[in-house]
Amino acid sequence: MAARHPPGFMVCRKCLPVLLLVAVGFMTRAQDVHLTAIGNVKGAPSEMRSSDLVSVLKGEKQRWSDGTKVTIYIMKTTTPIGQSTCKKIYNWSADKVKRYWLELSFSGKADAPTFCNTVEELESYVSQNPGAIGIIDRNSTSNGVKTILIDGKNPF
Amino acid sequence: MSEKRKITIFYAILLGCLCFYFQSFGQRTQIRGFMDVLTGLQNDKVSFTLGEQDLFITSELSDRFSFLGESVFKFTPGTPTTFSVSIERAIVKYNFQGNHNLLIGKHHTPINYWNDTYHHGRVLFPTIYRPLLFEADIIPLHTTGVSLQGQNLGNLKFGYDLMVGNGLGSDDVLDNNKRKSITGAVHIKPAEGLRIGLSWYNDEMAAGSKTHEGKLITWDVRQNLFSPSVAYFGNKVEVLAESTLAINHTDTTGTKQTFAGYIYAGYRIKEKLVPYIRFDRLHFQDGEILFDKNNTTSIVGGIRYNINYLTAVKLEYQYEQTELEKNINKVTFQIAVGF
Repeated sequence: MAARHPPGFMVCRKCLPVLLLVAVGFMTRAQDVHLTAIGNVKGAPSEMRSSDLVSVLKGEKQRWSDGTKVTIYIMKTTTPIGQSTCKKIYNWSADKVKRYWLELSFSGKADAPTFCNTVEELESYVSQNPGAIGIIDRNSTSNGVKTILIDGKNPF
Repeated sequence: MSEKRKITIFYAILLGCLCFYFQSFGQRTQIRGFMDVLTGLQNDKVSFTLGEQDLFITSELSDRFSFLGESVFKFTPGTPTTFSVSIERAIVKYNFQGNHNLLIGKHHTPINYWNDTYHHGRVLFPTIYRPLLFEADIIPLHTTGVSLQGQNLGNLKFGYDLMVGNGLGSDDVLDNNKRKSITGAVHIKPAEGLRIGLSWYNDEMAAGSKTHEGKLITWDVRQNLFSPSVAYFGNKVEVLAESTLAINHTDTTGTKQTFAGYIYAGYRIKEKLVPYIRFDRLHFQDGEILFDKNNTTSIVGGIRYNINYLTAVKLEYQYEQTELEKNINKVTFQIAVGF
């Protein structure tokens, strides 16, 4: 004889595929986020190769060609944009990105990026700081901010 | 107006000016710390050990100037509180062009990868302890002086360090002789995670000076250190191999050579789990007078689990065979954190 289950269990069993789909949807969300590179109107170029973007975001470039200091703004690694930045640009886990920056700043070789909570906060930083570069998920309409094409594409 | 009042007003104005100056550049200061605690089993005895507590400060002072400071609080027997504070690094950096910098202050001598990368943040160490090359006082860990530094230049990500400083037998405020120590180091990073480097260190230690460990030197010693280094930290495999050939010359004993080196290898079996081994070797030539001659071989095997990027636990077994002392067998457990 089949075991009897409480009604709630049956409801849950019916909902299971839907819940699974939602869960998978959330898990893949970080990878689905399209990224856009933005920069202050002063400093960063309007177009870059993806390899150059990676190099800049790894702190390997201290100044832009016009002499402006490079400052990096990325979203916190707990946000979907931050997770996508780690995966798509650094090709590392969030933990490895944070460890990389801890090591680099600890050795005095580069200044760690500012990790932002919201896109608005990141845009505000980029608009106010010459030489700033940041990664978000949409084109920016803020004053003093430009979109940077990566390999000729936006988003990339 | 009294002298004391004048001084107070002067400092108040100076402080005000500095505050205004830094605010106008949007100064960004970060304070971080590291510490570790250990438990060890040696000679059938378990001991708990408090490691170093490291305070690390970075500050962007302006568009081109920045500061880095590292102070360590550590157990020091013989002091009134059994603890002492040491300034490990205090560096003012001036970025004069592109990826080229001028640094002045107290540095970790950029003689090899380990000394230039890990400093006192034990959570970043791949093993619990430093290699014997460091413990045996063979390389100068610190140099107070001035240096030129370049990094990530060209396709090979070439880097260089050229440093002049107070050398062997000196302290952080006074050199012991007219000769400055010279450090020249170059490296390339031809592939992701790979760094290959080579350095040269040259100095002369005057008779009557003391080594870092307090040993009195009674002859003038001319020293040359040659240190090759290969580091590879990939997604799975980690390899770090470094050595130093030390050539010490005195008019009395002639030239003596010492070799010290280690090789570390780890394999990431899961994202956070890395079993590892390290082999260390110290070999001193007979008649060496600057170093304490104590030929040593050590093997370390352990496992590291990174709970996250700020917390790591390591369990390690070490067997050490030395010329002068009893062999060492010990098991150590460490938890190291950053905060």
